[in-house]
Amino acid sequence: MVSQLTISERQYALATLLLLGLGGLAMAAMGRGDPIAVHGYIVLIFAIGLSFVVMAGYYAPEPDKTRLSRYYDDPTKVGIVLSIAWAVVGMFVGVWVAALLAWPDLTFDQAWSSFGRLRPVHTSGVIFGFGGNALIATSFHVLQRTTRARMPGQFAPWFVLLGYNLFCVVAASGYLIGVTQSKEYAEPEWYADIWLVVVWVSYFLIYLRTLARRKEPHIYVANWYYMAFILVVAVLHIVNNLAVPIAWNAAKSYSLFSGVQDAMTQWWYGHNAVAFFLTAGFLGMMYYYLPKRAGRPIFSYRLSIISFWGITFLYMWAGSHHLHYTALPQWVQTLGMTFSIVLLVPSWASAGNALATLNGAWHKVRDDATLRFMMVAAVFYGLSTFEGSFMAIRPVNALSHYTDWTVGHVHAGALGWVAMITFGSFYALVPWMWKRETMYSPKLIEVHFWLALAGTIVYVFAMWNSGIIQGLMWRTYNESGSLTYSFIDSLVAMHPYYIARAFGGLLFLLGALVAAYNVWMTIRQSRMDAIDAGEDADIPLFARDAVQAGE
Amino acid sequence: MKEFFHRKIERNAIGFVVAIVAVASIGGFIEIAPLFTIHETVEEAPDMRTYTPLELAGRNIYIREGCYACHSQMIRTLRDEVERYGPYSLAVESKYDHPMLWGSKRTGPDLARLGEKYSDAWHVAHLINPRDVVPESVMPKYGWLMRNELRIDDLGEHLVAQQAVGVPYTSEMVDNAVQDARGQAAPDTDAASAVAERYGEATHVRAFDGDPSRLTEMDALVAYLQILGKLTDKANQQAAAVEVEEQ
Amino acid sequence: MELEKRDRVTGRMTTGHEWNGIEELETPIPRLVFYFLGATILFSVICWVLYPTWPLGSTFTKGLTGFDQRNLVTEQVARADAERAAAWAGKVEAMSYAEIEADPALMEPVREAGRTLFVDNCAACHGVNATGGPGFPNLTAKSWLWGGEPEAIEETIKVGINSTNDDTRVSQMMAFGRDGVLAAAQISDVVTYVRSLSGAEGDAARMEAGKEVFAANCVACHGDDAKGSHDVGAPDLTDHFWIYGGDTSSVYTSVYSGRQGHMPHWDTRLSPLQVKLLTLYVHTLDGAPN
Ligand code: HEC
Ligand code: HEC
Ligand code: HEC
Ligand code: HEM
Ligand code: HEM
Ligand SMILES: [Ca+2]
Ligand SMILES: [Ca+2]
Ligand SMILES: [Cu+2]
Repeated sequence: MVSQLTISERQYALATLLLLGLGGLAMAAMGRGDPIAVHGYIVLIFAIGLSFVVMAGYYAPEPDKTRLSRYYDDPTKVGIVLSIAWAVVGMFVGVWVAALLAWPDLTFDQAWSSFGRLRPVHTSGVIFGFGGNALIATSFHVLQRTTRARMPGQFAPWFVLLGYNLFCVVAASGYLIGVTQSKEYAEPEWYADIWLVVVWVSYFLIYLRTLARRKEPHIYVANWYYMAFILVVAVLHIVNNLAVPIAWNAAKSYSLFSGVQDAMTQWWYGHNAVAFFLTAGFLGMMYYYLPKRAGRPIFSYRLSIISFWGITFLYMWAGSHHLHYTALPQWVQTLGMTFSIVLLVPSWASAGNALATLNGAWHKVRDDATLRFMMVAAVFYGLSTFEGSFMAIRPVNALSHYTDWTVGHVHAGALGWVAMITFGSFYALVPWMWKRETMYSPKLIEVHFWLALAGTIVYVFAMWNSGIIQGLMWRTYNESGSLTYSFIDSLVAMHPYYIARAFGGLLFLLGALVAAYNVWMTIRQSRMDAIDAGEDADIPLFARDAVQAGE
Repeated sequence: MKEFFHRKIERNAIGFVVAIVAVASIGGFIEIAPLFTIHETVEEAPDMRTYTPLELAGRNIYIREGCYACHSQMIRTLRDEVERYGPYSLAVESKYDHPMLWGSKRTGPDLARLGEKYSDAWHVAHLINPRDVVPESVMPKYGWLMRNELRIDDLGEHLVAQQAVGVPYTSEMVDNAVQDARGQAAPDTDAASAVAERYGEATHVRAFDGDPSRLTEMDALVAYLQILGKLTDKANQQAAAVEVEEQ
Repeated sequence: MELEKRDRVTGRMTTGHEWNGIEELETPIPRLVFYFLGATILFSVICWVLYPTWPLGSTFTKGLTGFDQRNLVTEQVARADAERAAAWAGKVEAMSYAEIEADPALMEPVREAGRTLFVDNCAACHGVNATGGPGFPNLTAKSWLWGGEPEAIEETIKVGINSTNDDTRVSQMMAFGRDGVLAAAQISDVVTYVRSLSGAEGDAARMEAGKEVFAANCVACHGDDAKGSHDVGAPDLTDHFWIYGGDTSSVYTSVYSGRQGHMPHWDTRLSPLQVKLLTLYVHTLDGAPN
């Protein structure tokens, strides 16, 4: 892979790694006795490790100019592998924390292994590790294909992908050693936050520069979504993470906002992390891989337009539905509720657009598990957005908030939508990337599909049940007008559902392991018999000379 | 018409970027900015005090261990919550909370009114192994809190950072942060009486973990738990005022 | 370059663009979408008119209903109080403990309300079934520290034991060993004696010696017969119930290091009615799991 970099890019890489290593060294040396030192060592090891990789390939001959007439896919390939690795880790921890709620002593008497520290490892692992890598990998692929332009340069994509993974590693390891800001989905501390801003700006620049070189006059819908994902996440991230560190050599910081303003900012962020990370980004993915796999045109261009702008505008108002009946002034709650309701229209428009795109290809959905993954994802997207809008209604939220119903909703979206669309896209993408006709085993895709579907259904039904029971028990009054159940009564009632959820999650995890194996074997096969399927079989021939020269 | 317009911006990457940022900024701005300008958003509470250094350290342990993943600190304006947990939470009660810890999941009960509900000894026993005292519990064990000495050397820096984000610590409080942390968990010492002087007579000065000779993370966390809902009496006063009105 | 093409399956025109093989159809937006949008916007506008919604600099629109979640819940709680008072709670407040307990119909709502109150507030220490645990007394044992009459129980709940309340009940088992009052051997003796009071076997000589130690040091609180004293909250040492455990080492620790249980006070957290309900609940506990 290093051999694909020009000599100057290799020098850039080494210089960057040197700076990064020095940064890590400074953190390690100055932060004595503070957890930031641990992160210093992690950064240092990361930089040294990568330097070895670059140095090993440093004297390889420079790539020839013909590369510029091809797309640059190495970062996409690595991104896919990293994404799957994070999926396995993140979901394993998910199953672990699920088991802890059923059997709380299923752990070690060690701080790092307690529920409160593992839970964010799960959420960050799956959202940022699995989801984020999948988004970066697919966005690089889609961006180049739909602009018919190669990414400018080969260094920046690596910087984004690997820099992003460094952020993920710092985040997850931080929770284990007790470094967290406690803001859900924004837990990493200030220095990781700043690093992510640098990475993210580079990501955005790759996007802009590639678009500037595009050979297609129009920007394709998938890129609208990927761009909204990049831009809005940047805005959200910067504002919500504003904080004052206690010292430059300490991990701990205090967030700039407090109390009610902090709550609103946090859920403006939190809700739109869902909207622009877990929704917009993956809609971008869907808008490319689903029509591509189905071989069908998008059902309606105009529907795409109103869904896109509807989602971009409306989602940003909805965050306050996480704070119904709280000390947040009621006027904000009314806004959050009503905009969440209107939001259902563009959400369903997107889901409908996707499903209607399958018209004329339903026989493929029946026969092709890859396409079926995408179809089911669109259905779950419709389902979870409906559920979300419903839960945003104040009286409904009165019941659902704080309960497992929210967790059920989350995983209907996360397993049914996010994970399914990702696996579907990967199954389409991996053979293209590694130049194979198909995945190693289409049968295993089928197995994965049913494991994933069964796991999702068991998980979601268990949580709907437990959430609604929990919510009802908390507010049930007996005839004499006193509360019927104590909190502990509700806790005891949850036990069977927690077992069921752990089981559903285990099925889903097994599915992910099957996927990992299948992808691994596909890669191995392609290594073993390096067939030349004609370079970049997925580039339409006429496009070949149209790919603009790099640099 | 509309189509035509859209086809145009679809061809202009920079225009598209600007449009996305503009369209996406409206909602957040309209919902967040007024929270700073509308006066009644945060109630007045003249008796509101800041966390002592020990309580602040405890709060940081609460954050570190991820207690917020299971416990809310926000009693909603719903009858069952008020009847179960006490007066609904006010905005002012988390005015000095950077960040707030309202939570989003109640695997365990709400803790907004926990202060002084149980004894220190119970908290210690419960945190060491919740199932010793509540057999039905699914809460993790936190045995290391009792084993770990509390880190206090940087507490002054903590208070300075708190000052920077707007918490009214005095320079005297900053200067004495370390002694105050020690004193609050070592009753009958000079340092102990100094804490009460600085933070108010109602400050709890006790050997929270049962051992006045060691300052542990358990001391800090229990001190924090015992102050929950007690920084101001506003919520109780408001509830009492309503009762008087009715009579 | 915008070649108009027709899709074979639907017969619709495409937009003429193509991205690596992906095309888009010129399908008009289904009517339904607009109806749906209209309906949700209508719903929103109605909400905006009725409820507080739009910020206006330093204030916000209040809505025609003047609805406020805080006022509403305050009203609901007050109404619930009034309804309960009318149905049964008023009687509970007015009647004496004996009268209430004599009225099975009244005791039913008392027990229902009492149980939830108990489990939400007291079970952390005393257990869901009030059977206690190490350090926390069993309330079903009828082995009262401060007396089993409702008035005594009520007082304990209100002011607590060794609590932060100004009027708290105070109880203190002295640290005979740590404070150097008794030597280790004497403590072992008295422990053997004390355990024998509830039937434990032990060395006869030690028991004799222990009996003397007890008479000299302990009767002041635990009484001549070791049946405890409700005045100082000293437990009965002759029954089979132990707060801190009846094995030799627990009893030894009790005598060596002393004990000072802490029962919080509830007068500021719970209303007088709630305290009365709890008193009745605790007083009529039979220890059967519920
Ligand atoms: C896995 C979820 C979980 C985590 C994490 C957790 N708790 Fe709990 N907590 C519970 C449950 C369930 C209960 C109710 C049963 C009980 O009392 O143990 C509870 C009860 C409590 C109570 C008693 C509340 C009451 O009013 O009865 C306190 C205090 C408490 N937890 C503090 C903490 C602190 C402090 C932490 C972090 C150091 C923490 N909890 C972490 C689940 C959790
Ligand atoms: C923090 C733990 C704790 C909680 C919560 C608690 N108690 Fe207690 N309670 C104790 C302890 C400890 C004692 C015994 C004190 C002693 O050892 O002297 C006690 C004693 C009592 C007694 C006196 C028993 C006797 O023999 O005289 C009663 C009655 C009682 N509790 C009722 C309640 C009720 C009702 C509640 C709930 C409103 C409650 N307790 C909540 C710890 C607690
Ligand atoms: C000053 C009064 C006082 C004196 C003197 C006293 N006790 Fe106690 N004792 C108490 C009180 C009060 C308690 C209950 C403490 C609690 O529950 O927190 C108690 C508890 C105990 C217990 C624990 C009972 C249980 O259920 O676990 C034992 C054993 C005991 N005393 C033995 C003795 C012996 C033996 C002596 C003499 C050497 C003695 N006490 C002298 C007041 C006294
Ligand atoms: C193997 C499959 C999975 C299992 C067993 C699992 C399990 C869990 C558990 C036990 C929790 C904590 C719930 C609680 O606190 O009560 C949780 C939370 C969460 N999980 Fe998963 N999970 C899985 C997959 C995923 C995936 C793939 C995603 C995202 C792409 C995801 C996103 C989340 C999020 C966002 C939360 C936080 C929810 C909230 O705060 O309300 N999970 N998960
Ligand atoms: C129209 C679209 C949607 C709306 C209106 C919506 C609304 C909601 C509501 C009301 C809650 C509960 C808040 C609470 O009571 O605490 C919630 C939680 C959540 N939703 Fe959605 N939702 C939508 C779509 C989605 C999708 C597609 C996902 C994808 C994964 C998702 C992920 C989440 C997550 C992770 C949470 C948990 C937040 C937390 O408490 O940590 N939502 N959503
Ligand atoms: Ca952060
Ligand atoms: Ca949450
Ligand atoms: Cu949301």
